[in-house]
Amino acid sequence: MNFFSREATVAKPGFNRWLVPPAAIAVHMCIGEVYGFSVFNVPLTEAGAGWTIPQVGWIYSIALFMLGLSAAAFGKWVERSGPRKTMVMSAVCFCGGLLISALGVKLKLLWLIYLGYGVTGGIGLGLGYISPVSTLIKWFPDRPGMATGMAIMGFGGGALIGAPLGVKLMEYFKSATSVGVAEAFIAMAGLYAVSMLFGALIVRVPAEGWKPEGWEPKEHAKPMITKANVAVDVAWKTPQFWCLWVVLCMNVSAGIGILGQASKMCSDMFGVSALVGGGFAGLLSIFNMGGRFVWSSVSDYTGRKTVYCIYFLLGALLYCAVPWTQSTQNKALFVAATAVIITMYGGGFATIPAYLRDMFGTYQVGAIHGRLITAWSVAALLGPSLVNYISTAQIDSGVPAAEAYNSTMYLMAGLLMVGLVANLLVRPVDAKYHRNESLKP
Amino acid sequence: MKRVVVILVWVLIFVPLAWGVYHSVQKSLPLFQGQAEPPSPSRPRS
Repeated sequence: MNFFSREATVAKPGFNRWLVPPAAIAVHMCIGEVYGFSVFNVPLTEAGAGWTIPQVGWIYSIALFMLGLSAAAFGKWVERSGPRKTMVMSAVCFCGGLLISALGVKLKLLWLIYLGYGVTGGIGLGLGYISPVSTLIKWFPDRPGMATGMAIMGFGGGALIGAPLGVKLMEYFKSATSVGVAEAFIAMAGLYAVSMLFGALIVRVPAEGWKPEGWEPKEHAKPMITKANVAVDVAWKTPQFWCLWVVLCMNVSAGIGILGQASKMCSDMFGVSALVGGGFAGLLSIFNMGGRFVWSSVSDYTGRKTVYCIYFLLGALLYCAVPWTQSTQNKALFVAATAVIITMYGGGFATIPAYLRDMFGTYQVGAIHGRLITAWSVAALLGPSLVNYISTAQIDSGVPAAEAYNSTMYLMAGLLMVGLVANLLVRPVDAKYHRNESLKP
Repeated sequence: MKRVVVILVWVLIFVPLAWGVYHSVQKSLPLFQGQAEPPSPSRPRS
């Protein structure tokens, strides 16, 4: 047994479980920085290497692609190794990636930044994203939605911190010979390493058979919450896994389509300045973060299937209302509708681990979550491409810029209807897929 | 004592989050203060 092993993190009697969510948030609010990476795009093009915006845009895309890939590939290792080792590895990869990228900026080698922030950092993102999920679910069997909501809220908050932090650090380090990007990367690597290692230090797993004081599992089991366990290699062969994959993919595609274009959309639809459009994007980020905690906590009371039905039905209704807010130039209603849509986008991310736990049990829920994250990678390509392609095609065909997003909104509502069908098809997992508990080590 | 440690850890986590929220709120203020300019002029349909 060493300091990093799962055994070393088993909590002693009397340990306060409320120390575990901050450990998860400490990691998630660092890796969530990836959402704010765009603040480095323009300064990177001014670094004197002749890089273009499309070229530097690949850094973010590679990182998100590697997030999905590593979460899927290393899920079983994460379950075996425990949260501390995984969080440390995540810190090494993510912060190491920032350091490699700083070297890439200094040497003016773009491939080194792809390798650093994109590949190495992306692996850190994947490990860090899934590492606390199964730990939190085990600590909060009475409130799994709230528990995962807290961690994944941290990821949303990471963008709120990362973007202004990056800007302030670049301003501080900017000189006649440097745009300040490399120095900002180094400083961020140091700050994030401290936070992530702090999380790794305080994280604990509950002892075998532990349950919250005064809490007893309900005698009459709910049909949509299993008491059995399904292994990851079996889970992904079940129809439930693929229904949930579609659920996540559609929910994220619809939300990311708005979030990625928020500033330009607001400017085009309401004729406001870029500054106001940027303010709108900032406001949506706050709702994205808050929705993760609020909706996921609500799902503990309503059940996961019901809450996803709300996301899809209410979301579709609001998407259909957006063109009306534009035609009546009702900016307040537009902001309110899109804010609620974005809370449900965040809520979809945060509720999915608890949904997986309900379907497949706690045995390898982190690894199953890792494989489901591939839906996010697909959605990250699908959502923004749809919005960009359709709105550009509309403008090119002579539709006024202010109305060019209307078709996109109806399409997003359609995507949510596909998600609704997939959600309604989710049934309890057939007993033939359940793990034989007598084989348990 | 244990409760104090828990509160301290939560405060440590909330400080950077609150800083991020503060910046986003500040950034979003023009949305509520700014006057809307007329929407982009319609382009003739081809």
